[in-house]
Amino acid sequence: MFKNYFKIAVRNLLRHKAFSFVNILGLAVGMASCFLIFLYVSFETSYDNFNKKADRIYRIVSDIKTPSEVIHSGITIAPLAIYLKKDFPEVEDAVRLASDGFLVTKGDIKFQEKRTLLVDSTLLNVFDFPFVEGNKVTALTEPMSIILSQTASKKYFGNEDPLGKHVLLTGAAINATITGIMKDIPENSQIHADMLVSMSSAKQIYGQSTSDSEWTNHNFLTYLLLKPNANAKRLEEKLPAFMQKYHGQQMRELQMYETLFLEPLRDVYLKSTHTEVFPATILTTGNINNVYIFSIIGIFILLIACINFINLTTARSAERAKEVGIRKMAGALRFQLTKQFISESIIITLIAFIIAVVLSVLALPWFNQLAGKTISTGIFSNSLQIAELFLLSILIGIFAGFYPSLFLSSFKPVSVLKGRFSTSTKGLMLRKGLVVFQFVISIALITGTIIVYTQMNYMRNKDLGFNKEQEIIINTNFDKNKDAFRQSLSSISGVLSSVYSSSVPGGDYTSAYSEMQNAKGETQKTNLNLYFINYDYINQYQLKLTAGRSFSKDFATDSTQAMIINESAAKMLGYTSAQQAVGRNFSQWGRQGKIIGVLKDFNYKSLQQQIEPLTMRIEPGAFGLISIKVAANNLPSTIKAIENKWNTIVPNRPFEYNFLDDAFNQQYNAENNFGNLFLNFAVLAIFISCLGLLGLSSYSTIQRTKEIGVRKVLGASVSSIVNLLSADFLKLVLIAFVIATPLAWFAMNKWLQDFAYRTHISWWMFALAAIASLLIAFATISFQAIKAAIANPVKSLRTE
Amino acid sequence: MINISQLEKVYRTEEVETVALNKLTMDIKTGEFVAVMGPSGCGKSTLLNILGMLDDPDDGSFIFNGIEVAHFNERKRADLRKNNIGFVFQSFNLIDELTVFENVELPLIYTGVKTADRKKRVEEVLDKVQIMHRRNHYPQQLSGGQQQRVAVARAVVNHPKLILADEPTGNLDSSNGNEVMQLLTELNEQGTTIVMVTHSEHDARYSHRIIRMLDGQTVTENILI
Repeated sequence: MFKNYFKIAVRNLLRHKAFSFVNILGLAVGMASCFLIFLYVSFETSYDNFNKKADRIYRIVSDIKTPSEVIHSGITIAPLAIYLKKDFPEVEDAVRLASDGFLVTKGDIKFQEKRTLLVDSTLLNVFDFPFVEGNKVTALTEPMSIILSQTASKKYFGNEDPLGKHVLLTGAAINATITGIMKDIPENSQIHADMLVSMSSAKQIYGQSTSDSEWTNHNFLTYLLLKPNANAKRLEEKLPAFMQKYHGQQMRELQMYETLFLEPLRDVYLKSTHTEVFPATILTTGNINNVYIFSIIGIFILLIACINFINLTTARSAERAKEVGIRKMAGALRFQLTKQFISESIIITLIAFIIAVVLSVLALPWFNQLAGKTISTGIFSNSLQIAELFLLSILIGIFAGFYPSLFLSSFKPVSVLKGRFSTSTKGLMLRKGLVVFQFVISIALITGTIIVYTQMNYMRNKDLGFNKEQEIIINTNFDKNKDAFRQSLSSISGVLSSVYSSSVPGGDYTSAYSEMQNAKGETQKTNLNLYFINYDYINQYQLKLTAGRSFSKDFATDSTQAMIINESAAKMLGYTSAQQAVGRNFSQWGRQGKIIGVLKDFNYKSLQQQIEPLTMRIEPGAFGLISIKVAANNLPSTIKAIENKWNTIVPNRPFEYNFLDDAFNQQYNAENNFGNLFLNFAVLAIFISCLGLLGLSSYSTIQRTKEIGVRKVLGASVSSIVNLLSADFLKLVLIAFVIATPLAWFAMNKWLQDFAYRTHISWWMFALAAIASLLIAFATISFQAIKAAIANPVKSLRTE
Repeated sequence: MINISQLEKVYRTEEVETVALNKLTMDIKTGEFVAVMGPSGCGKSTLLNILGMLDDPDDGSFIFNGIEVAHFNERKRADLRKNNIGFVFQSFNLIDELTVFENVELPLIYTGVKTADRKKRVEEVLDKVQIMHRRNHYPQQLSGGQQQRVAVARAVVNHPKLILADEPTGNLDSSNGNEVMQLLTELNEQGTTIVMVTHSEHDARYSHRIIRMLDGQTVTENILI
């Protein structure tokens, strides 16, 4: 019997080639989009799964409560790993990771490495980074031991076997030995590093070993490996007492109360609320909302494609009606016909599946690029995945074929065989409803895209409160010749000015335990973000003072006893005007003095985040960065001149620089990728919707051939016929617009909440989406309508 | 074989109510060849549909082979239909996407006959209607007469006890029409009961008995033999 179904399905497809094409193409494109999203979602949810013990690994995070705020910190204190392992039998192992960038030298080869980690020797017992050479157990025990990734190994040693060979790290007097090689850490790992340096090397590198009893040293990521069957919740409940025992007195003194939590390893990437100060190159974070959003988009696109299928199949029911009648007459029961039509729909989806797989394979490199990472190297690399997708296709076939099969199998043989069958009204409401649904989704996606792009544009162009143009940033990595280099810059004609600092807007900063005099005259303990800057910094970045004065060499005490804060800090301390804050006392990291000025708030972090309180002080020992203000003209030659100076004065380090505005905007890479993906899927959604519209409109045009002929004979113009045929469908698009607008408004308003600084949703965005979708829909429909309208009426009448 | 009494069927649309069968009563014996005649709209086709269990009556009794079927549900009707009744229509009603062989095979598929058996039976019946040489052709490639012969072949492949023919020659020229009538006569002679709706007095003369209908009722009966 199935053979019979198959035969008739294939013959039907071949007989109605245009319909089959539209039907299958729509499904295939929808399925391909869905597959790509499926890969994306599986990739995003696969983070850290390669660790065999993943379900026993927890990251320690903490909430630090000060009298002023609660800090959600992912960075933990040095002794935790050691004492937790000692005190709690359920802790099998613990490991700390600290991030630092090293200048790595091997003969003439030198690189300023950014992805390097100092790690405890227990690392490879906790994590399953793919180790290929060396002794996994002892590789990280000795001081000055390094495990290299294969990429790093290639960089320094080419095809040589690097095991036992040496490289030199900055600061260290002696060589470090390569004790192990690992494959590059998988992309779906929250931790990324090209080089793992043994924690015990700290003494050689920094001149002091990691203080294992310093309970205020927040510098480490700490991961615990619990024993099998250990209860993480119960362990977490015991941690407050643990903190009291070792750190209680200090917490009371500092008024910084730290509560520890255990975050399951698999939740860290997508769900952690404890944001990092670790560089994103080492610790990657995702966004569970994006996973949800794309899952929803994937389902929507699939729905749109299924609706096409449903619409096109039911629209053509008249052609199948006779067959239904004959089969019923020949003894077919309704469920047998239902089965037949569902089988047919599965056959069609399987054809679409094959095309979709081909499309996905072709689109994958492009999709990886859009997503900003390699979500998959090939759909065929994972046979389980392809099996899942295959199964999904069959489900799609059943889902899409369900209604049409019920609809078709319900026909009464009497009426269809007698030709008393009119499909024009049967199921028409439903088809119209489904078209409206498709366009609701499409218009909502278009509106969403417009809003995402407006927000991106807003972020790129908003006045941040400082001048980010023509600022070149060079990280000296505290090279001993940095002063000579900076002084030499003034001789370059394109360099307008240059200034030292520890931080620049958009980049890293420290946060410091501070005791500040507040509006009530009390000493308020708090943790404040801190920039170390030199005298000209405020001037060069064109930051605006609202009260007091800037740092000045005229005041001898400015270099050690002066602080400038921003308005947010003044507000946090309770001052109602900036002026009140000037002259108040501070104590921070061993320095005491007075606040000399208050700066107007500027966005030193990305616009997703509120401007937080900020303090600025002069501390030459912390100056690692040079900001160079350059003239806009002759930029390449200016940069060349800077490079020449660098290479002469700092020959042992490679010349690296970036533009502040580029670096600042890189904070929006994730949003950019999101926006691009969003745009592409919106385009696909509307494309599939239009395919459906094309199919439906051509079908209804065929049905109305006679009417069109009669009208033309009676003198109707081409344009009036086009209007006649288009109006019905355009009405549907308008209804869809009315429904989509509040939905899109609601969803996008919610999306925008993630941005502390955001654009306003305004009417033109919806109007633009409406006009765009109307134009696209009209172009689709009019193609058929015009063809019908200009046809010779005699011909159309003769077809009856 | 068929006993109908007080059968009623009314078609309703929003505005009009059309009485198709008005307390109709008739009996048809096994082995009979009956022609039903009457003007358009007299209820002949409705009668045929009810006899074929494609439609159910609103009221009255319909006994088929001793079983009351007037209130059978769709499934039971389909069961009874596929084992007992064959149809021949004016417009042939062949499935365009299936070949001659596959069209004729269809009823056997639904009655669950095995493949090898199906082949034998289809070939047998195609032979009988002399269309064997066209077995792999599609309906559109055949003449009207040939298509109707295929339809007849399909109607009898299951060895039904009753054949219902609705204007079987209506779309055919006279020589093709006569061939089809010959075929039906032969089937009748081999024992199949035939009820045929027709406008053609010529065709009606092939039958044993002519029932004339008007406004949903029988008006006269002529017995020809």
